[in-house]
Amino acid sequence: MAILADREAAVNDEQPPIAAKTLRKKKGSHERQGWVAHIFLLPWMLGMILVTAGPLLASAVLAFTDYDLLTEPRFIGFDNFTRMMEDERFWAAVRVTLLYVVVSVPLQLVFALFLAIILDKGLRGLSIYRSAFYLPSLLGGSVAIAILWRQIFGDAGLVNTVLGFFGIQADSWLQNPDAAPWTLIVLNVWTFGSPMVIFLAGLRQIPEELLEAAEVDGAGRIRRFFSITIPLLTPIIFLNLILQMISAFQAFTQAHVVSGGTGGPLDSTLFYTLYIYQQGFRSFDMGYAAAMAWVLLIVIAIATAANFIASRRWVYYGDE
Amino acid sequence: MQDLDRRHFLTFAGLGALTIGAMALTGCAPGGSGGGAAQAANIRFAWWGGAERQKAYISSLKTFSKSFPDITVEPEFGDYDAYQERMTTQMAARDVPEVFWVPSPQVLTYRDAGIYRKLDDIDVLDLSAFSKEELELFKLDGELNTLPKSMFSPVLRYNTTFMGEDGITLPDKLTWESLSELLIDYSKNNAHGRKGTSYGAYHDMPFESFLRQRGEDLWTKDGKLGASVDAVAEWINWWENLRNAGATTTISEQNGIQPGWSDTGSKVLVSFANSNHIVDEAPAFPDYEFDQRDLPAFADAEAGYHFTYYSRFAMYSGIDDSAIGAAGELMNFNLNSLDLLKLVGLSAGAPPSTKLLDSYESSATETEQKVIAVTRDIAKREQRPRSEAPAGSGTWRDALVRELEGVTLGSVSVSDAAKNFVKAVNAEIEKA
Repeated sequence: MAILADREAAVNDEQPPIAAKTLRKKKGSHERQGWVAHIFLLPWMLGMILVTAGPLLASAVLAFTDYDLLTEPRFIGFDNFTRMMEDERFWAAVRVTLLYVVVSVPLQLVFALFLAIILDKGLRGLSIYRSAFYLPSLLGGSVAIAILWRQIFGDAGLVNTVLGFFGIQADSWLQNPDAAPWTLIVLNVWTFGSPMVIFLAGLRQIPEELLEAAEVDGAGRIRRFFSITIPLLTPIIFLNLILQMISAFQAFTQAHVVSGGTGGPLDSTLFYTLYIYQQGFRSFDMGYAAAMAWVLLIVIAIATAANFIASRRWVYYGDE
Repeated sequence: MQDLDRRHFLTFAGLGALTIGAMALTGCAPGGSGGGAAQAANIRFAWWGGAERQKAYISSLKTFSKSFPDITVEPEFGDYDAYQERMTTQMAARDVPEVFWVPSPQVLTYRDAGIYRKLDDIDVLDLSAFSKEELELFKLDGELNTLPKSMFSPVLRYNTTFMGEDGITLPDKLTWESLSELLIDYSKNNAHGRKGTSYGAYHDMPFESFLRQRGEDLWTKDGKLGASVDAVAEWINWWENLRNAGATTTISEQNGIQPGWSDTGSKVLVSFANSNHIVDEAPAFPDYEFDQRDLPAFADAEAGYHFTYYSRFAMYSGIDDSAIGAAGELMNFNLNSLDLLKLVGLSAGAPPSTKLLDSYESSATETEQKVIAVTRDIAKREQRPRSEAPAGSGTWRDALVRELEGVTLGSVSVSDAAKNFVKAVNAEIEKA
């Protein structure tokens, strides 16, 4: 023991200088790397501060002002927020946006999951299908697709032409306040590619042996799907739900182009963001627009938090 | 570093998406002396229009650069709505182009924002084409701070091909009542299933003419809406009478309250428009011939109801003193250059300078001759003064469109729509 202790002491006596040197070297290297990392991060940080955080804070201040962009902002306290309560168009925008979020997001996810399951079966030419189905997601929010949508659902559009073959005469779907929001919902469902690709990745991670074991135990396809695939896929469903919900709350281009920027007919396509835009850039009421933007931010934050809390009940993480 | 488990990874991903989304949502918030000879300068010039006009003006700026090689002109072009949005943002940032066109609803808004520079002390600016009376007419509150770049009036456009095919002639004296009867009769009886007109109750200039014929103004001198509820209701009723009789294209056919020419141009006998629109719109239907004339009028229309709208342009009040001469030369070019007119034509309207219009006439296309004819016809008429749209009135057309949607969809009566419209416009003006 004494010999061992001596050896250890000897080793310990010898080690500190070497360890300290190495440590200093490592520390110096880390410091250098830290600086380099900061230099590389600088453009992003500057962008974040100047382009995002700056306007974010400015809009928080402007929300409490009467600001027409042309004259100095005037502090008016909570007037912009109380005004919302009495603003009929504000409530119309809330109704339209909620309908869009509540209906289009679940429909889109169901559709995306359905196609992901089909594609997961190892079809020939899978990559072609995957790209083809993903394409609408890239184009869905674009002006070009919104214009196409006007043509499809217009008076002499594709939908009415097809209906015409069956002797059904219909008017423009976009000029009917009951039908117009549904055309935008269909447009959003059609952009299922992005959640579909995420579902596809999730499906690939489900251990094959679990499915095989269930099959051996006599579970049919439907039972395997609901008892194994869906539970193991819940984290992915949850992720897609959050992403698509936030995106739906912010939908703008489709409604702007399809309604010609009016949100009509009769405000039936007046998405919340479109109304913010109208207030900010057409009525030049930037204070009110900023207040509305913050209300939306808070609503999205609450909806997201509520989903996170609810997820404890239905999302299953395999590593727990 | 600890590895992230799936729960945390997905949590962070979700929160990240929320943060980015939130940031995207809330990140949209937030004035020398007279110029002498033009010095070398960089001048930003902003105007609006369609692709053809953009191309024509860019070509004309090249011509300008040949005459003034030391002056660089940076074009800033946009579609009409986008142009106004960009201008407002630029005004907020005090980064306005040195020379810019002024959209009609914003003339007084821009003045109130103090972005016009006075123009009567700029030596290089050649205003000799205008009489003293004309220059007085162009002034805003006694100050010459904008100039007209073009002029136009509301007209009734008609398809002469359809008229020939269907045996229709328009009488010399056309009243609103007689036109209404003619259009209803035509829609019922023509052999081609054509309609009398498109539903055009939103057209601002014919609406203004309608009001003036009744002795009212669209905008009063003291910056208010001049239209009474009764007059607005009468205007909407005139259109509703046509629509209900099947004499207009349906709202569905024309894809909304604001008919697009491409949707309706080949379906209707007449349409309401501005006198310059025929230049860009007639070529869309090369199989048809179009012509235009003065609007219908009440038998007892108020004298002086005719009007010519002068579309203005201006110089930015914050312009650098050293650039005033160069900006003045660019304004000169817009006001007086026959070369420019030959390149851009009359799509934005006839030139306000009579001398220039006379010089251009021999080069004008057949369609442009129709613009010149109606411009001269209306210019000869007695015209009582008109006031520009006050600050805060920029969205009045949107308010009208909303009420017209309600009327055509049956959710609001004409009288209530008229009341709502007047109330909404007055509220916007008061707020400003």
